[in-house]
Amino acid sequence: MPGQLQVSAARPYGGAGSVSPVESIHEDTTAKWFLLSAVSYFFIVGIIALTIAAKFVWPQLLGTVSLLTYGRLRPLHVNGMLFGWLLAADMGLVYYIVPRLCGVKLWSEKLGVATGILWNVIILSAVVALPMGFNKGWEYAELPTPISILVVVAWVMFGINIFATIASRKYEQMYVSLWYIMGTILWTAFVYLTGNFAVLVTTGVNQANLNWMYIHNAVGLIFTPVGLALAYYFIPRASTTPLYSHKLSMVGFWSLAFVYVWTGAHHMLHGPISQWLQTIAITFSLMLLIPVWTVVYNFFATMKGQWYQLSENVPLKFLMSGVVFYLLTCFQGPMHSLRSVNAIVSKTDWIPGHAHMAVLGAFSFFAIAGTFYTIPRLFRTELHSAALANWSFWFFMIGGLGFFVTLWLGGFWQGWQWNNPAIPFIDTVKALKPVWTVRFFSGILMFLGITTFLYNIWATVLDAGSKTSANA
Amino acid sequence: MTDYTYQSVLFAYLLFFLVAGGAVFFFVRSLKDGYLGPNSEEPKYRMLEDEPQLEETQPTGACAPRRQS
Repeated sequence: MPGQLQVSAARPYGGAGSVSPVESIHEDTTAKWFLLSAVSYFFIVGIIALTIAAKFVWPQLLGTVSLLTYGRLRPLHVNGMLFGWLLAADMGLVYYIVPRLCGVKLWSEKLGVATGILWNVIILSAVVALPMGFNKGWEYAELPTPISILVVVAWVMFGINIFATIASRKYEQMYVSLWYIMGTILWTAFVYLTGNFAVLVTTGVNQANLNWMYIHNAVGLIFTPVGLALAYYFIPRASTTPLYSHKLSMVGFWSLAFVYVWTGAHHMLHGPISQWLQTIAITFSLMLLIPVWTVVYNFFATMKGQWYQLSENVPLKFLMSGVVFYLLTCFQGPMHSLRSVNAIVSKTDWIPGHAHMAVLGAFSFFAIAGTFYTIPRLFRTELHSAALANWSFWFFMIGGLGFFVTLWLGGFWQGWQWNNPAIPFIDTVKALKPVWTVRFFSGILMFLGITTFLYNIWATVLDAGSKTSANA
Repeated sequence: MTDYTYQSVLFAYLLFFLVAGGAVFFFVRSLKDGYLGPNSEEPKYRMLEDEPQLEETQPTGACAPRRQS
């Protein structure tokens, strides 16, 4: 029967059956450092996220204390989620999967742990600096220059470790996740350097254009490739089903590599940049549908005959929901890069709805799934509670859908109002209050998802520690 | 303030062409290495094997699940 497999059922949460009694060659200390830090920052920054969502509904909340104003907390939320949670979780999972895909140990566990410590120094510095008002003033590049330099140092340490591990691999042909990880390391170097340093010494339109290239490619060339690397690893592993087509996955990788970098200028449509640059950005944005469809088709085809696994397998639920959100967000992107659609949605609440579906709905879902999959294996135990993991999924799913859909509708509504010069701007702000109220309550659901996720992961780790002590 | 726009844009272009040049090089090399050839599906079976153990590593492809045709 097509699609039927000669393997046993998946063990989504590790457990005794998934861990060989023979000791693994992998130490995984670095992966543990990164993952546990990331999960903890997810919770802390989640509190900030909920606070700023509440400030939209109750603007007087927390008064005029400068440390707690919207302008100080919003960069903390953005940088905390991007670097403290998502990129840290992605790096932790990369430290887990690269040695396994290469069949060798991590090149240097000491260098990895040093990178983990430095990463925590960076995040804690940001937690202090941003609320105090030390801010470069560029979206997604708010971190003060000394902290940005530390990010570069940490990334170089990460890159050396991963490339050296891949260079010492046992198998000549690399699985597609390794290609995406290597791409992420190189593209991040390019995107981060231009977005955080070159932008400081340019002026005018060129400066704005560089900033938008950075913002768009922070998602497109950092979180997208590493997120897809995780999805390509964890979907087959969590479902114990071979990928539908490795060849197709390589087509997707190379088309992403050649298309993505040109799209940033679509954020400046109808702005002061030249028309030819706008048209190039639109054209390449539409071409993005090629890598996106190769990815989505490959994952859906992999799951053919395996969908029944979603009822019991929470990592797979997160992964496949993430794939659907990835498809939706990557369909939205090219569509609102069209001049006519952009004239309505640009700069409205549509954009945070779209961005959250990418960063939370797709890439955070992949990272959460990877964390649920790896933590029990790393600590050689079972997940503390599969039922609680299922609750986390539904909190994230319902909260996320409420958040995304409300902001899309509200954004369109806002855009139509802004296009009508007869409506005073303040009236367009007041009109959005119901939208922001729904967003706040959706945020509470997502925060419950984060809290249950954090509790489940830490309880798993502490359970493993107490079992080890009891056996000693 | 001194305007370094052109230097910075040229620096960004330089980085871009380095990355793009690297991409072209590795793309051509991946074609030569058979990533789109007849054996290109092998890594997807290998990645499903259990991880290597301290005692002995398993042979490539030995216990990978395969779809029945």
